[in-house]
Formats: sequence, C-alpha cells, structure tokens
Amino acid sequence: LKVIVGRVGSGEVLVSLAMAKKEGGSKSVLDLERYLNQPVRVKFSGGREVKGILKGHDAIANLVLDDVQEFLRDPEDPYKVSEETRSLGLVVARGTSVMLICPADGTEEIANPFAAA
Amino acid sequence: AQARTDPSAPRLPALAGQSRARPMASISAAPSYLPLALIDKCIGSRIWVIMKGDKEIVGTLRGFDDYVNMVIDDVREYTFTPQGKRVTHLESILLNGNNITMMVPGGDPEENDGKGGNGAK
Repeated sequence: LKVIVGRVGSGEVLVSLAMAKKEGGSKSVLDLERYLNQPVRVKFSGGREVKGILKGHDAIANLVLDDVQEFLRDPEDPYKVSEETRSLGLVVARGTSVMLICPADGTEEIANPFAAA
Repeated sequence: AQARTDPSAPRLPALAGQSRARPMASISAAPSYLPLALIDKCIGSRIWVIMKGDKEIVGTLRGFDDYVNMVIDDVREYTFTPQGKRVTHLESILLNGNNITMMVPGGDPEENDGKGGNGAK
C-alpha cells in the first residue's frame, strides 16, 4: 500500500493512494457471482426494499443493480411493503445497508404458521 | 482515510499530474461494474443519494472516501413526511456515509413523475 503526500499552493495537503495488487482473492460469506445478471430482491436495513438485476458487487456487498424498482411502503406502517413501485434505473447499493439478497422469484407467501389454531 | 476528489472542484486548487487511484479490477468483474468505481465515474456530475430513512439528497458529487462519506455541491435535500415532501437547498455538504442506502448516478427524484419518498398513495 503506497501513500503519496503532496503539498499544493496555499499549503493544503492532498493524499492520494496507489493500491498494490492484492495477493489472492478475499473470500466473501456470500457468493454473489452466481447471481450476476439475474433479477434479485434486496432488502435494506431501515425497511427499504428493491428489485433489480445484479450487475456488480464487491467484497463488502456493495452492489450495482440495473433496472431497479423500489417497493413503496405503506404510509401507515413503514415496515409493510405494498406492490406499488418507483423506478430508479441504475443504482449502487451500499453494502453496509444491505440486509438480505435473494433471487427475485425466490419467495412465496405461505399461511401464517404462528396463527393461533 | 483515503479520499477520491474532483480535481476541478471549486474549493481545491487545480493540480497538474494528479493521478486518481483506481481499485484493481478483479479477474471476473469488468472495472465499471465494481460499485465504487461506478461512483468514482460519477464525480463531477449529478448524483441522487437515498438514505435509510425518508431523506434524499441530490447534487453534484465532488468526492468520497473509503467509508463513502460524500462531498456534494449545489444540493437539494428532500425530506418525506406523511404530510408531503420538504425541499431545502444547501450550497455544499459533507454527507455522512453511515446512513446511505442507495446512490443513483445522474438521477433525480423529480424525474420520476414527482412521486417521491416511500409513501404509497
């Protein structure tokens, strides 16, 4: 890792960084390679939910998603998601906010197993 | 922390021969599909940042660091409430990366038929 420090004009210091090549790849808990170019559903901490095509990712689960639609939430209950969507286009999602990634058609609604008999 | 900044930003003196650091591309992904490389390409142009809660920021991206704290100019700050949206204008901000959820390069909440935030009608 090389850090270059320079002094400019009025004395401000600018730090720029040249990254050395990493030896070997870093292992991620989640293998996102297999979802590349497939539609996925992503849920975020805070209640937001989107669906889009996974175009890119990095080791800390920052994502590049294309043709993204965000599911709008119920104004009464911010944790309940309606079927209404708004279109966002090409989006970078922050890995620190990502809570869940699953295939877009990977879920189905089931009867409530916790409902009193 | 390391920072990527726009060399032509009004607050920084212009530099000759400054090289911007680029992360090494992995073998399997094209460089433009690395998320932070895409943000890096957006430096100097408009970006729409969506926070975890009901707040959105639109402005010109000047730079960001490893934690994706962002310096943004000419900002419109949108706050969405059950009553409707509120817009404030800010000349220049340092946006704390802690609550950033999504970033849309070149995007604008107004280009969406005006329907913004997260309340379903």
